[in-house]
Amino acid sequence: MFVHDEEPEDNRARFTRRAALLGLGQIGVFGALGTRLYQLQVTEANRYALLADENRISTEILAPVRGRILDRTSRVLASNTEGYRAVVVPAIARDLRGVLRRFAEIVPLSFDDIERVVARSRRQSPSLAIVIAADLSWERLATINLNAPHLPGVRTEPSGARVYLPGTHMGHILGHVGSVERRALDDNPVLRLPGMKTGRAGVERGLEETLRGQSGSVTSEVDARGRVIRIIDSVEPRAGRDVTLTVDADLQEAVMTELGKYRRASSVVVGVQTGAVLVLASSPGFDPNVIARAGESREWAAVQASPDDPLNNRAIRGLYPPGSTFKMVTALAALEAGKVDLKERLPCEGRFEYFGQTYRCWKRSGHESCDMHKALRESCDCYFYELARRTGIDAIAAMARTLGLGVLHDAGIAGAKSGLIPDHDWKRGRFGRGWLGGETILAGIGQGYVLATPLQLAVMTARLASGLQIAPTLVGEMAMRAAAQPLAVKPAHVQAVRRGMIAVVNEDGGTGSHASGEDGGYLLAGKTGTAQVSSHSRDTAQGDLPWDKRDHALFVAYAPVSAPRYAIATIVEHGGGGGAVAAPLSRTIMDFVMARDPLGKPVATVLTGPSRRLGDG
Amino acid sequence: MRTTATPFVVRHSLAGRIVHLDWLVLVLVATIASVGVAALYSTAGGRFDPWAGRHALRACAGLVLMLCVGLVPFRVWLRGAYPFYLAVLVALVAVPFFGVAQMGARRWLGSGDLSVQPAELMKVALVLALARYYQWLNPSRVSHPLWVAFPLVAIAVPVAFVLKQPDLGTAVLVLATGIGVMFLAGVRPAYFVAGAASSIALGNFVWPHLQDYQRRRLITFLDPDRDPLGAGYHIAQSKIALGAGGLKGRGFLGGTQAQLNFLPEKQTDFIFTMFAEETGFAGALVLMALYAALIASLIWMALRARHQFARLLASGMAVVIALHVTVNIAMVIGLLPVVGVPLPFVSYGGTSLLTLMFGIGLALSARLSARERLRRDEFGAMF
Repeated sequence: MFVHDEEPEDNRARFTRRAALLGLGQIGVFGALGTRLYQLQVTEANRYALLADENRISTEILAPVRGRILDRTSRVLASNTEGYRAVVVPAIARDLRGVLRRFAEIVPLSFDDIERVVARSRRQSPSLAIVIAADLSWERLATINLNAPHLPGVRTEPSGARVYLPGTHMGHILGHVGSVERRALDDNPVLRLPGMKTGRAGVERGLEETLRGQSGSVTSEVDARGRVIRIIDSVEPRAGRDVTLTVDADLQEAVMTELGKYRRASSVVVGVQTGAVLVLASSPGFDPNVIARAGESREWAAVQASPDDPLNNRAIRGLYPPGSTFKMVTALAALEAGKVDLKERLPCEGRFEYFGQTYRCWKRSGHESCDMHKALRESCDCYFYELARRTGIDAIAAMARTLGLGVLHDAGIAGAKSGLIPDHDWKRGRFGRGWLGGETILAGIGQGYVLATPLQLAVMTARLASGLQIAPTLVGEMAMRAAAQPLAVKPAHVQAVRRGMIAVVNEDGGTGSHASGEDGGYLLAGKTGTAQVSSHSRDTAQGDLPWDKRDHALFVAYAPVSAPRYAIATIVEHGGGGGAVAAPLSRTIMDFVMARDPLGKPVATVLTGPSRRLGDG
Repeated sequence: MRTTATPFVVRHSLAGRIVHLDWLVLVLVATIASVGVAALYSTAGGRFDPWAGRHALRACAGLVLMLCVGLVPFRVWLRGAYPFYLAVLVALVAVPFFGVAQMGARRWLGSGDLSVQPAELMKVALVLALARYYQWLNPSRVSHPLWVAFPLVAIAVPVAFVLKQPDLGTAVLVLATGIGVMFLAGVRPAYFVAGAASSIALGNFVWPHLQDYQRRRLITFLDPDRDPLGAGYHIAQSKIALGAGGLKGRGFLGGTQAQLNFLPEKQTDFIFTMFAEETGFAGALVLMALYAALIASLIWMALRARHQFARLLASGMAVVIALHVTVNIAMVIGLLPVVGVPLPFVSYGGTSLLTLMFGIGLALSARLSARERLRRDEFGAMF
């Protein structure tokens, strides 16, 4: 233990040199800090010098008025009520009980109220304001301000509440506002104002920056009673901007009523040229005013407890296997890759063998043989199994993304999900295992890992209908500005797929004939989808299955066929068959849309009219 | 040099260790912590609730911890250096998965009174591990590229995880602490020059490739005065309060400027402002002098040590304290962006307080045995 130090002496000397160097550096740094502090506290102190010892300088943040939300017809969907309330800052009040007793002469406060405020002031920092009276009348507001000198620490402030168009149909789109989340606090001092509300969901959150506006501030010297002695600096707040949405509240309401006939359903209508979202419906819905009153109401508890999860916006957050509505993607991917031409006929005997696995066509007896047109029209699974096998998953996935699946669309509404378009890389990253050939076969008909939201399916259909890479948006201004690029797909191939979609609805044997309508005055093109959600046998009749084991019914469509303006995607959860349920429902909704379309008839004006854009979105 | 003559037995009995403990350091830490209690008492408007009382309790617990750590034979800490570093690293890695998010960042493990910030612990764990490493490493090899690479990795890994939280302030502090210890350990200056030059070059290379909004963010970050109601709000308020304090201050409990309409972090990052408003420039200087004394006595402790471990532990802790004080004060007087670095022993916050006291305890322990001979390979191989 006590051997002599064998450490080289120069090691020690080096340490001494370096420690001394750091020490000297620290002295220099402290010197610099001290100098700066001297400047701030002594040399420059005059600017903030106080006229009297009791005075202080206060910078008050002025909250901006939140912008309103309007629908495309300028109907007010969200606005603010005006109101005032009184708060007390215990640190200024000093004698809190005394101040409150005097205050109670203006606004009656019970003994319990006073004790509650006093108790609260003990729990939190005394410089935080506590609300002592809400919804002040003008008379009381004036009386409080008149008596301000006798009420140190008490001040009045605007306390507007957010009110929404009543009804359950706009809740998902609008979202709601709420107290500022703690994690957002660092950004902006205005968020710390008591009672400050920010968007927590839907458009309120998605367009928060636009709606909020900019805070102002007043820096002033005030005396011990809170009276302003001099204004040092002032910046007016800038109110948030009003936002005009692309949705039509009446249309949305009509669609919600239709969807309400089913337990859980969603439908999205998009303008094919602009991406303007006309309808974004998710059923069941909720009334955003219920959330504004949350905590006190039984309605809110009912909304939260409902097994059908009304708060979930299925239109942008519901992830569904697209089923046969995905076949356009597979068809286009195969055509682009040159793996099939339009004339080639592939056999279908009701089954498809691949590596010892059997994949069934929905039609047990098979389709004999199909070219692409027939395969789309009759939704032949075998044809698309073979196309998927030839094309490979990566090319299919790339085409799906080109059409807007598996991509997050920022439509101005918060909470959208990006769905899932699987490929080799994803599988390796997610499961650490390689992609299996059989998974490509299933993906080819929109089953397996493939998941999409109704909004994404509507975007896909709009892109097919217009040949443009439109991006969906709920903001009117964005839709007006839209100038979408053409899709990076050969127009002839898109045209072939469109012909198939027209046949689905309008030719004999088409799976979507229920969407042809009696006489709507326009033609519709679409594609049915029936997505299996459980591994039941395809022989079991849907009606015999328990509700939650039944297939999802899907339908995507665009109209009118001659000059497409709107694309729709509809899903009815556990609705059974896409052709039987979702197709006629989509037709009904499209009828509403066409009836509301300002340029619906005659068709000629649509092509030549001056405001074609409006017709699109 | 009273310790030179001390017989072995005395230094190894508990009583002997207590007598020879560096009481000056203990007293300095206790004094600074008391300043913290007073400042927090005043921040709450003259109440022990909600900060001062708990801070006092934690400071007492911390002082006891420091004393106990200081009395434990330093070989225990030498042996535990790597395991401790690895444990803290694991906790740090776990934060993104199990951590609790607060104020926009995930920094905490656990909940309530028992929550800890692994990033804070890392500051001390890194000093300990590096001191252990250089104790083992042959002094003639400290500048060999391979033996420079090891500590660099040991520094870079935690820094990367702290950055991810995201906590820029702590990341920079951990990085600077590590580099400081490497400098003290004798790594050739050329490395530091090269490192600084390449960071500047990298910055110049990256800047033209940034998006406009990224540049704006960086500018606001580096120069908060440009945006007085956004990021600069804190600093503007802080300057007003300092100015209102003046030369002699507004008196204890008189600092209304900081007590009212100020920032929510006044009990943590901006406690210095609070203190300087009430005690004025004079009080601020006294507090800075206390820190200077603490740093100086830690360096003095290091200079007298006979082995690298004690040397680097003591001087490493001096670096940690100096960095905290410098960055925090520079931050509140607007010389550095607000990055969330606490003022040692004064800012409200348990992990920081206890961690730093633990670290000082380590230095005390190493100091008690600084005269002992320690073979480089006493614990076998590197790990």
